[in-house]
Amino acid sequence: MRNSRSWLGVLSFAIILVAWEAAVRLGWLNPFFTSRPSLIFVELIAEAKSGELFRNIRVSLGEFAVGFGSAVLVGLVLGIAAGWYRIIEYILDPFVWFLYSAPLVAFYPIFVIWFGLGMYTVIAISFLLAFTPVMVNTIAGIKSVNPGILLAARSFGARPHDVLWKVALPASVPMIVAGLRLGLGRALTGVIIGELFASSTGLGYSIAYNGQLLKTTDMFVSLMVIAALGVIGTQTLSALEARFDFWRTGPGL
Amino acid sequence: MEGFYTSQPSHVLAASLEILKSQSFARDVSVSLEEFVIGMALAVLIGIPIGLLLGSFQTLRYLLDPPVMAIYATPQLALIPIYVLWLGIGMQSKVAVVFVAAVIPIIVNSIAGVRQVDHSLVLVAQSFCAKKHDIFGKVILPASLPSIMIGVRLGMSRGILGVVVAEMYVSQDGVGNQILKLGSAFRVDHLLFYVLLVSAFGFAATSGVRKLEERLQR
Repeated sequence: MRNSRSWLGVLSFAIILVAWEAAVRLGWLNPFFTSRPSLIFVELIAEAKSGELFRNIRVSLGEFAVGFGSAVLVGLVLGIAAGWYRIIEYILDPFVWFLYSAPLVAFYPIFVIWFGLGMYTVIAISFLLAFTPVMVNTIAGIKSVNPGILLAARSFGARPHDVLWKVALPASVPMIVAGLRLGLGRALTGVIIGELFASSTGLGYSIAYNGQLLKTTDMFVSLMVIAALGVIGTQTLSALEARFDFWRTGPGL
Repeated sequence: MEGFYTSQPSHVLAASLEILKSQSFARDVSVSLEEFVIGMALAVLIGIPIGLLLGSFQTLRYLLDPPVMAIYATPQLALIPIYVLWLGIGMQSKVAVVFVAAVIPIIVNSIAGVRQVDHSLVLVAQSFCAKKHDIFGKVILPASLPSIMIGVRLGMSRGILGVVVAEMYVSQDGVGNQILKLGSAFRVDHLLFYVLLVSAFGFAATSGVRKLEERLQR
């Protein structure tokens, strides 16, 4: 079962690539607009050899790491505080909802004045986009812990901080990880749109730059790399979730 | 705080009145709204059936799941320059941005919804001799509705960000276009009005879907 599943997955990517290549070669698609897989692969190798690819990856990954890392830190701390103390939640609530639905990219010109064009502005956008889902899910996770197990812990004489660290927090791991996953996607989005507008290096900038020069193949190289980074990030989080949530027995599946 | 960077509430209020009275305001809002509504409607109409199909047929799901997940993990807004290349700087490219940004979470959550349906419900329906399309329409669809609606809500907030960013990237009118112009001119008071407007719209739209969700679940 497991085998046929991965084979079908590989097969579907193979079909897409072959169909894409064939459609261009047969003249159904204009390579100016769509490029084709073999050209993209050749360009990928060329960019890897010239060092341009790794330079872009390093810049974007660095911005992503700082933006997402600080978002996780701040989101978790505020989320735990607001999930545990109701008054903090009430104070933070309106700001959270504003941040969640506001198009924060709109402030990039102001960020540029504060932080200058480039890395720090991109990090700021990435951080602001990513930290809300982390925080919202942490609050929801802590508040939705089964009150029965909290009560059980208390009646066995657990102190309040023990209840928080040893019961409430572990019990909210799935919600928190769901928030991290949303936040990861938004942090990556923040890096890319930050670079589209306010940077002169990185993968997002390279897409915008090559787009303006109508160099479709180069655009697709950066796009593929971004997609690969997104997939790797999501998979890593799933592995982490399994690691931290091993004790949960599940519905007997 | 320096007013130049942050403006102040009274200035924002004055700017809002000024913008509301201006003629371009109604047009900018209607352009953005139209792009958003068309893209979102397409995403719902196409995404839910695809998700239901993929959720119901395992082979199809195994075949299409990896590419769908790959697109899901990619920031959709990185595709904006490509849509502009394909569809031009007009309305179509923004509709495409909204559509793709919204359709993927809708598909993923519809798949999850169908797969979470309690199998015993289907067994009960079968043992009462329900026909296939009845099981689908009267059991599987209602049972997977909550998950589908979460997908619609997620898709909607991505679509809103998508419209604004796509218009900021390249366009001739629309709210995003105004935001870009005002931001580059550092008219923070006017800028804040538009940002708050989009934010309020996002909040109202997601609460609207949540209300709809509650009503459908009764």
